Amino acid sequence: MTRPDLKAALLALREYALQQGVKAHLSLHREDSHLVRLANGNVSLNTTEHITSLEVTAFDGPRSATSQRILDLSDTQALKATVDQAQAMLAHASPLSYTPTFPVIEKDSHHSARYDEALAYLSNEDILAYIQQSVSGLEDGDVTLGGSFSVGSTEEITLSTATPHAVSHRFSDAQVTLVLASEQDKWEINAEQSAEVLSDLKPQAMHARLAYLKDKYTTCSAVRLPLGPQRVVFGPAAIAEYLGFLTRFGLSGWFMKQGRGIHKARDVGKQVLSPLVTVTEGPDNQGAFPLPTDRYGRARQQQAWYDAGVLTGFQYDQDTADEFGEQPTGHDLGPSFALLPGDRPHTDMADLQTLAREEGDLLYVPYLHYTGVVSATQGLITGTSRFGALLFKQDGSIQVPYNVRFTEKLADIFGTKLQWLSRGQSVYNLSDTYGQRNPRALLVPSLMCCDGVKVEISNSSY
Amino acid sequence: MPTQWKTHLDRLMARGASYADVRYYPRHDSNMLVMMNGNLMAFQQSGQSGFGVRVLADGAWGFAASSDLNSISAVFDQALSNAKSAATRTARPVRLSDKELLSGQFTSPCVMDPTQVPLDEQVGFLTRMDGLMNQQGVVQRMGFIMSESKRIEYYDTEGGRTEKEIRELFPNLMVQGLDTDRQMQSRHYSPPRLGMTRGWEIMQTEHFDAQAARIVRELNETLSAPPCPRDVRSVILMPDIMFLQVHETIGHPLELDRILGYELSYAGGSFVRLSDFGSLRYGSEMLNVRADALLENSPGSFGFDDEGVKAQNNMLIKDGILVGAITSRQMVMEANEKLGREEFTGSGGTARASAFNRAPLERMTNISVDPGTDGSLEDIISKTEKGIVLSGDKSWSIGSNREQFHFANHYGYLVEDGQKKGVVRSCAYSGDTLPFYNSLSMVGDASTWEVQYVPNCGKGMPSQVMQLGHGVPVCRFDNVKVGE
Repeated sequence: MTRPDLKAALLALREYALQQGVKAHLSLHREDSHLVRLANGNVSLNTTEHITSLEVTAFDGPRSATSQRILDLSDTQALKATVDQAQAMLAHASPLSYTPTFPVIEKDSHHSARYDEALAYLSNEDILAYIQQSVSGLEDGDVTLGGSFSVGSTEEITLSTATPHAVSHRFSDAQVTLVLASEQDKWEINAEQSAEVLSDLKPQAMHARLAYLKDKYTTCSAVRLPLGPQRVVFGPAAIAEYLGFLTRFGLSGWFMKQGRGIHKARDVGKQVLSPLVTVTEGPDNQGAFPLPTDRYGRARQQQAWYDAGVLTGFQYDQDTADEFGEQPTGHDLGPSFALLPGDRPHTDMADLQTLAREEGDLLYVPYLHYTGVVSATQGLITGTSRFGALLFKQDGSIQVPYNVRFTEKLADIFGTKLQWLSRGQSVYNLSDTYGQRNPRALLVPSLMCCDGVKVEISNSSY
Repeated sequence: MPTQWKTHLDRLMARGASYADVRYYPRHDSNMLVMMNGNLMAFQQSGQSGFGVRVLADGAWGFAASSDLNSISAVFDQALSNAKSAATRTARPVRLSDKELLSGQFTSPCVMDPTQVPLDEQVGFLTRMDGLMNQQGVVQRMGFIMSESKRIEYYDTEGGRTEKEIRELFPNLMVQGLDTDRQMQSRHYSPPRLGMTRGWEIMQTEHFDAQAARIVRELNETLSAPPCPRDVRSVILMPDIMFLQVHETIGHPLELDRILGYELSYAGGSFVRLSDFGSLRYGSEMLNVRADALLENSPGSFGFDDEGVKAQNNMLIKDGILVGAITSRQMVMEANEKLGREEFTGSGGTARASAFNRAPLERMTNISVDPGTDGSLEDIISKTEKGIVLSGDKSWSIGSNREQFHFANHYGYLVEDGQKKGVVRSCAYSGDTLPFYNSLSMVGDASTWEVQYVPNCGKGMPSQVMQLGHGVPVCRFDNVKVGE
């Protein structure tokens, strides 16, 4: 069956809006999502959904109002009603202290270079085959498989009543998390993978990681860590967690203007982090679902926002730029950040056994669970280790630590405590499945070493 | 049952399904208004309608959903196909506990549907609050109104049928200011249960005016206050943080699907084991906790869950001993099979889904601590030698099995020798779950008991957000680590 064309539908709706005298920004989002959830070795849920949603923002000088609806594209009445609703709401909106910029898209822009239909519509059989290859020989009566395999397609198109030109993109994406857990001892290990195209899916890599960790968790002695400072090597998931907070509270112009960010305006040009830290954002960060234009069709620029630890500026979406009289920086859509790798040749946790002999004990923490923002202005983040932490001892042995809690400032993790970054880089998928499908990922070094990271709480068991 | 749903459900059974249900949402509307520093930053009305089909075939679950009523047959077929695919990797077939065959209706107690209130009135409310919060010491102020109205029609192949009209309203006020160290402090107000209905009628000007003034006053007290000491002392938790303590370290770890390992890849597991029921000393003898979906006027009360099971009031912890869990039809069967005995006598009626395109999961209902006999807040303070009263949920972080926690609070004041002392800022406390609840030493009486609402509990894959409640008194815990 031929799928309704999003652009045609939106252009027709634009015509309707013009006829009604509505000044509006219109956006259609269509997703096909498939998620296979696993628990205790079984597929616990196999779910698919096909959702189309329309968002209409009406403008009238300093007023705006938004109507959003999940609907069927063939339901013309519902499409029009969404436009009508936004217009009707406008009369009740209180005026803003500024006039929001109305989108005027100068030319068509479409991005789908990395769209891979073979990935987006991966079959049940292929998904289960991938899972089986990833865990082959690793499950037993006590150690069972959990996790999720999320895959799908996202299309989004936006235009306004100003011009018939549209900005659109289409992504295929997959986000995989596989967990092996001991029912008896309650330890957990995991492996994760992100994919833009089918060839990004590598079950062999998943198997290698899970096999290595399972071997350690079943053969090495468990240990309760003492409270106090540790030399910690973070894995991609943990690095991405910290980086996500850093870019949000450090680079967001909105947070800075509100006084809720880590930095102040006067910090631009200053050395605020370690010289090892360069964070880029832009269309060149392949793997992180980058977009070449913003929602207004303006070309996005690749830029270093922390350049060898120097803060180079703040990011403004159009609305924040309008409110505070700043220039927009093309960050109206999901950003694609990268923490550039360093020069250390160590790329994998297995390398740490050799490194520990040379440098002393190393606590490997691949993942931070349920992080909380204790203070945004201080960049103070708390979280616990999870999923495969290991203690590499200087005597060459390896121990399995029970989970610990760290509460650290981002300026310390990426500042005075930062020792080195690995040469190897990983893609870490941050997509969530709460609302619309909008794939997001970060590029991070495979390993990041920090010294003096304080263990605040140390579990006495798994 | 409307013919189309019955026809399709019957068709699935003829094609090999052992059970199926469908939830149809003909209407699911929500409003979101956010005013920050006088600017209406979000002014949004959303709508959706659709249906979701859940099928059990060959011992495995499949689910499919769509907003297109022209594709009902295809969606039902997809759900069955998904179940049969899932069954190729199923060592333990899913079985469902028996349930009472029910046909019923439920409507949230509401006088004025908040999604139908004139927008001028809603914007006017926020504008008024914004003005009241625009005071000295306040550098940021926010007013927020989220409301929802939905109709859910449920049908299953066992003959169950329910209709629910759900209305929710979640207002929130927040003020922020810079303390003497130029760090941002905040204070917010989310109303607890106010009366026996929870539509727009709760938005009484006099009440909210007073709350706006209170949070401004308390914020200013915090800005010039000294930092919270770092030591070990008694913590007296007000309901506006006690609810979150219960939510994170009693509610979540007692979700049976979590105990059985169904949430490991996302929300986490539980330190509770199946063998703990009936024996684990979860807390002191003063701790009595229930999952009460019959509590009047709370989001955790909904008449029937999304498996057609009637809402219930079940004990979870009695006199400090773990006696129950938050359960659904599948999980009680699995737990009993693993235990080799009937520990759980049937579904606790807690399976709910957030929207048409999500499958139901075990969710908290109203996880509530029974009031005690230790009097009022002032009574508790008068009997505390070295303590701190804590209020507000600034941040929270919990261990993956819920075994340890860290909470930061908006507001606190010290207690010494039975007397209130000064306000302190940047309060936080942390600990291990079981020792913490075993240090429960005082439980306030009914005069301290409030029903706090939770608008946004996240769980599941694909993830979904659920609304629920907690009835909690003021509680005192001893020997707790506190500090910035």
